[in-house]
Amino acid sequence: MIRLDADRPATFCDGHTRRDFLHAGAVAPFGLTLAGLNRAKANASGSAKDNDVNCIMLFLVGGPSQLDTFDPKPKAPAEVRGPFTAIKTNVVGTQISEIFPKTAKHADKFSIIRSVYHTATAVHDTGHQMMQTGRLFAGGIEYPHIGCSLSYLKGGRGELPAHVLVPKPIGRTGGNLPHGHAAGYLGKSHDPFILNADPNAPGFKVPDLLPPDYITGIRAERRQKFRDAVDGATATFENNGAAKQLDDNFALAYKLMSSAKAREGFALEKESAKTRDRYGRTRFGQSCLMARRLIEAGVRFVTVNMFETVFDEVTWDIHGSRPFTDVQQMAKEVAPNFDTAYTALLEDLAERGLLSNTMVIACGEFGRTPKVNPAGGRDHHPHVWSILMGGGPIKGGQIIGESDELGYAPKTRPVTPGEVAATLYKGLGLDPHKELPGPQNRPIPLVDYDRKPINELF
Amino acid sequence: MRLSSVCVALLLTALPASAGELRVYPPKITLSGPNRTQQLLVVEEVNRRVVKDHTASTTFRSSDEKVAKVNAAGVVTAVGKGSATISIALEGGRTAPLTTVSVAGFDKPSEWSFRNHVVPVLTRTACNSGACHGALAGKGGLKLSLRGFDPESDWFVLTRQALARRVDQTNPAESLLLKKGARLMPHGGGTRFTDGDENYTLLLDWIKSGAHGPRDSDVSLERIEVFPPAALLKPKDKIRVIARAVYSDGTNEDVTRWAKFTSSEDLVAGVNEDGGITVTGSGEAAIIVNFGTKVTTLSVTVPFPNEVNAAAFARPAGSGFIDDLILTKLELLRLPPSGLCTDAEFIRRAFLDTCGILPPVEETKAFLADKDSKKREKLIDKLLERPEFADYWAYRWSDLLLVSSRRLQQPAMWAFYRKIRQSVADNQPWDKFARGILTASGSSLSEGGGNYFVLHKDVAALAEATAITFLGTGIGCAKCHNHPLEKWTQDEYWAFANLFSRVGLKNGDRPGEVLVQSRLDGEALHLRRGVAMPPMPLDGKPLALDAATDRRAYFADWLTAPNNPFFAKAVVNRIWRNYMGRGLVEAEDDLRVSNPASNIELLDALAADFVKNRFDMKRLMRSILGSAAYQRSSQPLPANAADDRFYSRYLVRRLPAEVILDAYSDLTGVPTLFNQIKTAAGDSASAVTTYPAGTRAMQLPDSLLLSRFLEAFGRADRVATCACERTADASVTQALHLNNGITLNDKLRDKQSIVTKWLDAKLTDAEIVDCVFLAALTREPTSSEKKRFVALLAESEKYGPKSRREGIEDFVWAVLTGREFLFNH
Repeated sequence: MIRLDADRPATFCDGHTRRDFLHAGAVAPFGLTLAGLNRAKANASGSAKDNDVNCIMLFLVGGPSQLDTFDPKPKAPAEVRGPFTAIKTNVVGTQISEIFPKTAKHADKFSIIRSVYHTATAVHDTGHQMMQTGRLFAGGIEYPHIGCSLSYLKGGRGELPAHVLVPKPIGRTGGNLPHGHAAGYLGKSHDPFILNADPNAPGFKVPDLLPPDYITGIRAERRQKFRDAVDGATATFENNGAAKQLDDNFALAYKLMSSAKAREGFALEKESAKTRDRYGRTRFGQSCLMARRLIEAGVRFVTVNMFETVFDEVTWDIHGSRPFTDVQQMAKEVAPNFDTAYTALLEDLAERGLLSNTMVIACGEFGRTPKVNPAGGRDHHPHVWSILMGGGPIKGGQIIGESDELGYAPKTRPVTPGEVAATLYKGLGLDPHKELPGPQNRPIPLVDYDRKPINELF
Repeated sequence: MRLSSVCVALLLTALPASAGELRVYPPKITLSGPNRTQQLLVVEEVNRRVVKDHTASTTFRSSDEKVAKVNAAGVVTAVGKGSATISIALEGGRTAPLTTVSVAGFDKPSEWSFRNHVVPVLTRTACNSGACHGALAGKGGLKLSLRGFDPESDWFVLTRQALARRVDQTNPAESLLLKKGARLMPHGGGTRFTDGDENYTLLLDWIKSGAHGPRDSDVSLERIEVFPPAALLKPKDKIRVIARAVYSDGTNEDVTRWAKFTSSEDLVAGVNEDGGITVTGSGEAAIIVNFGTKVTTLSVTVPFPNEVNAAAFARPAGSGFIDDLILTKLELLRLPPSGLCTDAEFIRRAFLDTCGILPPVEETKAFLADKDSKKREKLIDKLLERPEFADYWAYRWSDLLLVSSRRLQQPAMWAFYRKIRQSVADNQPWDKFARGILTASGSSLSEGGGNYFVLHKDVAALAEATAITFLGTGIGCAKCHNHPLEKWTQDEYWAFANLFSRVGLKNGDRPGEVLVQSRLDGEALHLRRGVAMPPMPLDGKPLALDAATDRRAYFADWLTAPNNPFFAKAVVNRIWRNYMGRGLVEAEDDLRVSNPASNIELLDALAADFVKNRFDMKRLMRSILGSAAYQRSSQPLPANAADDRFYSRYLVRRLPAEVILDAYSDLTGVPTLFNQIKTAAGDSASAVTTYPAGTRAMQLPDSLLLSRFLEAFGRADRVATCACERTADASVTQALHLNNGITLNDKLRDKQSIVTKWLDAKLTDAEIVDCVFLAALTREPTSSEKKRFVALLAESEKYGPKSRREGIEDFVWAVLTGREFLFNH
């Protein structure tokens, strides 16, 4: 563990190897600017061993159909019911779609919320914003992702970033709006660390995480001294957001580079072939495995985006025709991919004793129209959809809320994205209405005051 | 149907001397039927900007209650034919003298129109919004057009479908429209209005009077007016806004209750759904008002809480309209400008912003030593003639026009790139440049501009890309329905798209060759109507469908006409942003009524000057570079530190990816090799030999050359026409790459690098520090900096020559990754 309280400078001699550099990094704070060091100290004040609840958010980009996934309506007319039958789960009375045979065996580990809805424009981007931040962006204000608020409030554990996004941010989904993966008004320094690589690719490695062999410890330290001296001349740049951001990112980069834990967290190759197979050899499967490793290493929040876009990619966005996905493609490719990775993650976390302090939420950005469209698909429908929450303080095996007979709108206990966010904040041990300084220091609560956590889940 | 009307004219005569002029809005009222109303505003104005809203503390009285009533809130309601006067008395004894009233016929009850009243109610109550019945598939079995863009269908759906239960003419109060909307029965969409409120009553009255649908004789909405036109306020001030629709028959109506109000800057001024504005901070906000298909704005200006001496805003000798308009704005906002930058700062920023390179050391030395008072102007002239100027701007326009081998074969990509670079080198006027591309005919290899049509083969994609590229505005939303935020209708979209429907493409004999020609036939069919609309530019005149005119030429004529309202502004804003760090409109390609410029007068003046000078690009750049605004220091004053958009100082900004990479190559003396090219999908790469060593990043015609550095630092992918493709955000990835990546580390270590040359030439540490500062930072080190760096270098020397070299490399690394280097300032 990095000792940020070590005031005595470590001594180095020339000719250190890369291994020495990394080792040295683990015992001394070189490589941090003074400002960065102070921040790191502040962040480290909560011990790296704190037992605070973590969170993994599996974002099911595209918007899974409630009727074909976790809210089947076996008694509905055929044009609503869709092609799949409902199957029993290991929780008496709970049924889910047959396309998730493995998930059905773990229904005691999560609760299904069947009455989530939103009222904004029915494009993907608005749902991404609301599910990741709890709010729709308006008036030029971009709200922070839940993991970014957590980063702001608790900082990273030791040298690890508080919030990591794998494998890539959500790309183009048609609405041309921000997707809410970033820190918004909290500033870029609380943006997630983005992996930007496919963990399922052969020879996967986090780009540029480690210094080259010839940059020894002594050189890294010297570079820092030079850099601090160089930047002394431009103190007024502190006023500039972009310049401050550069500093913050350098500080974070140094922390990562010198962290044995960070290396460990990203070292997917250390997993056995069996474990890797268990999660499924897909980008999403390996990203879930990466999420587990990162949580184990001390990351507080991991966002896993199941897909990068909804165009020309097989996703949950089952409009039924090109460039989108049809229902059978979803059943054959998307659902098994999720079924395997999600259950492997729950099992693996449970076996390692991590599930008790790690919430896992699996959610999309909206539901699908109950009535099957002429192309055999279903279109955007934010009026009701289902999400899964479990782990940490969240009680499993429950069904919260219900949709009406056709899966069209909430029938009981309607839940807004803001309430889902409030639930996650509560689960993370935070007051959902804690105020953070917004733009121009205007106090903005984590979620709006009228958005209360779903208390039945605790 | 003949509408009775009540005309109420309000006149204000001499006012008691006070802070401002009292004014009543709207200036003239016409109420066109029973129960029509108009809200009055009583305000105090200074220089046509409202400084205080007195409406709430005003007593109103009508001279004839049989003609028009007025309530305490200032709402005038028509009662009967005739004319009346409204007297206006302010609190504290101030009075606005009597106003005359005239009233016209009132003999027949008016009725609510489906198009102009019922649809606005459904829009205001969000019944036809995208989340509710306006969704493509509707909701709960009821599908309305999004925000009412198709009244004919909406009327049919409401009155004829669902067994006519939605609108029940025998028992109007039983209509589902009312019972669901008021939630007198279960409604998934909740309560949209309440039993008996004005929306409910209007719908009920409309049903009672026969639920007539839209008619051809309906008046059409010409425009909306918003009062007051502008406001100059203090934090916590509150004022209200009223919106009035003006119809094709000259009548008008208060539509405040149906309009939609939004603020561009909630942190300066917020607005509620009834048009009430509350000031929350300093700066400027645009309040955007949407009604029907029209949109307009009013600006709310809130000066910063600074005490500023008027001398701070004195116009510099010989300054032109740019400085005049910027200083006018700064004075209004009480933002003092920073002083002028030093010569060293000027030469560095002018080189970087104009040519994308650092000033060569010899030129820096000569410039600093030059005593000529006109040396800055002379430098600007020289910069505009450098070959790097052509590289830099060819690159920028290649970003804009999506030049790359992603969708063009290599010969075609090169033809397109060469055409662009030659135009820049020749300083081809922007109108000729645009026309050359948009009317290109013949082989795409000899007429490189023709590749524009190869990149945008679909007519809708071509129309949308052209709107962004040359008009700086996106119209894509209107493809499927009226633009929800802007005035563009679906009809206008398809009329615009049809201008581009007669482009013929056919493969030529050579690789990458496409033969482009205008065709005599072909139509782009309206997505909903299924018919061809007469081709029409945005806000332009339609061309007959059977006209033999070349549609591309017709469009180019309209585009490049001196009075085109968009074309000059679009490019002026792009160039302004390049030099000033922030567009007058942000994002640079998002010009629209609902996103006004931070200095509207300046954008207008720049565009007019640009047109007057025949779209001369270099002349525009010269006037920006020569302005005091461009030459301001980047050091903030305490009083202008909060400003990031009114140009009170030079805005510090990170250098573009390509500029940083080229500077690394130039400063270290080790060129960057571009010898791998990615596939279009980006999932693999192959060797390429087209680019000899020494090719600079800014000279690349392609965005697919493999470069981890350029990707990390946000080069544009050239996939979609959008300024958002290029990013300047800092990221941990960048920091990790600078620390651990090969780009900079390998250049420093290289045997051919400048470090080797310094060592061979036996330079002292002090000399090396001087060299690095002058070349990379365009300045001498201060004596304390020099002392510090020499001491640090001396430390590394203790371990021998290898260590000395490493120490020097580390020093150069630190300078080249520091803020002062990476940010133009």
